Amino acid sequence: MEHLLFIGNLICVWIIFSLGANLVIGYTGMMAMGQAAYLGVGAYTAAGLNIFFGVDFFTASLAGAVVAAVVAVLTFLPLLRLDGFYFALATLGLNFVFFDLFHNLAPRVEGSEGLYGLEMPYIISRPVGLFIAILGATILCVAICWRLDRSPFGRALRATRDKPEALQSLGKDPRKFQISVWALGGAFSGLAGAIYAATLFYIDPTLFTLNTSIAVLVFIGVGGLASIPGSILGPVVLVAFTEGLRFIGLPSTLTAPIQSALYGLLLVLLMMFRRQGLVGNYDFKD
Amino acid sequence: MGSIQTLAIGLGMAGYYALVAVGFGLIFATLRIFHVAHGTVFVTGGYVFFFLHRLYGFDLATSAAIAVACAAILGVAIDRVIYIPIMRRGGGMFAVFIASLGVALIFDALYLVLTKGVLAIARTDSLQIWNVGAIALRQYDMAMVVLVLVIFLLLYLWLHRTRTGLEIRALTDNEMLAGTVGMNVDRTRNSIFLIASAMAGLAGVLTAYDNGINPDSGNRTLFIAVVAVILGGVRNLLAGTLLGSVALGIITAFAMFLYPEWVTFCIFAMMIVLILFRPKGLFG
Repeated sequence: MEHLLFIGNLICVWIIFSLGANLVIGYTGMMAMGQAAYLGVGAYTAAGLNIFFGVDFFTASLAGAVVAAVVAVLTFLPLLRLDGFYFALATLGLNFVFFDLFHNLAPRVEGSEGLYGLEMPYIISRPVGLFIAILGATILCVAICWRLDRSPFGRALRATRDKPEALQSLGKDPRKFQISVWALGGAFSGLAGAIYAATLFYIDPTLFTLNTSIAVLVFIGVGGLASIPGSILGPVVLVAFTEGLRFIGLPSTLTAPIQSALYGLLLVLLMMFRRQGLVGNYDFKD
Repeated sequence: MGSIQTLAIGLGMAGYYALVAVGFGLIFATLRIFHVAHGTVFVTGGYVFFFLHRLYGFDLATSAAIAVACAAILGVAIDRVIYIPIMRRGGGMFAVFIASLGVALIFDALYLVLTKGVLAIARTDSLQIWNVGAIALRQYDMAMVVLVLVIFLLLYLWLHRTRTGLEIRALTDNEMLAGTVGMNVDRTRNSIFLIASAMAGLAGVLTAYDNGINPDSGNRTLFIAVVAVILGGVRNLLAGTLLGSVALGIITAFAMFLYPEWVTFCIFAMMIVLILFRPKGLFG
């Protein structure tokens, strides 16, 4: 039971992370390849504040989201003038830059590579309470995205992706929308990071690498770009599948390679046969 | 260890980088493919060599030759089986790029299972050293520098003195027009992938013999090569990648000596800064 709740939490983390990435990649059409950096910033901020400064976990999570959004905007502004491919390459580089930053500068609990020892408030100190809180946060995030999808802001995002000239001719600056959606994507990633830390109880830099950025690409690629059901479907299907591998008794030394080989295969097949994913409304541009 | 010694070590590393970078740059410049799986081709060459030599007892030259051939075939196969079908179905540069990442993931996982992530070094004895003043030069490094220079010379002749080379340069300038004037773009494409992958395979063999490779080496080497190509610029491919690789070899050698924990940071921060300010390359 406890393990099922853990899997539920994990799925929720990836749903929130995918929602943020989908806003950026799917709705706005910017090839973000470095989302794991913001996930890590959120996780480290929340866990660090909680462990070293005794900030309660709810506040720390919000702080994680805010700090991740700020870091996201700060890293995004210089890249704003890059076009398509070079933008993707630069964001890809962010993974490696932030890995070294986490590895060399982030605080550690003595005697370990990372952080542990989160103090949870009483209501979420038991697995069931934690799961309900995480589920609640996920539903809230889905609701926010749902609202955005149908709002003028959501339409402006899609216009930024499809016809920036049209947006400009209406006197709106596409860059303004790109910056705000990037901040929003950062905030979602940061929140997902904080919840990830609460789910795992231990974080270290190896969780926030290129592989994690690729994983979110697989999640929304399989689920569907520019689609909220897609952001939910991808993590559910893929986490259920890889956890299923454990249930059928595959040795744990093989689960990680099989998972990453599966992600690789899915990326190849998606690009070949179904670039918009299962229920997507948009496909990988060009 | 003086700074001249570090410089010598950097030049040694530049050799591997140049072999991978020039192939990557060739594919990127002519076909507009960001071939992440080029790192996979590199590491495949290394592993085939390692397994043949150490596990099945083939001698060095035979295993090296088979490894380079395997790498070359793998490169062409990736293009034919994955990239070309994606492009036929209307996928563009991003789609190919993402699929290429996928290929790299699959092979990384395969090698992780096969080797359990242990560093694979093919040589069993120590290498000969020449002492020049206070500097120790490894004969292996010197031989490699010569080898790389010879390969670059051959590449120059291939690109500038043969018909295929002319076609490749035409592709770089204008692919549409090259097809229109009756060039067999598919065949040229095959030779590009064949030569580039063979060079990556050779770099893999050389690395596996000396420093050793692990499943991560592919991506790591590839991204260093990418930075070398961006640094040198693709306009003048051969001179550019050579200069870029030498610069990068020296930078990584000094970074490893002075701040080993910041090497990756240095390389990628440099890549981002370069993309921002000189996307056509420092010397391009």
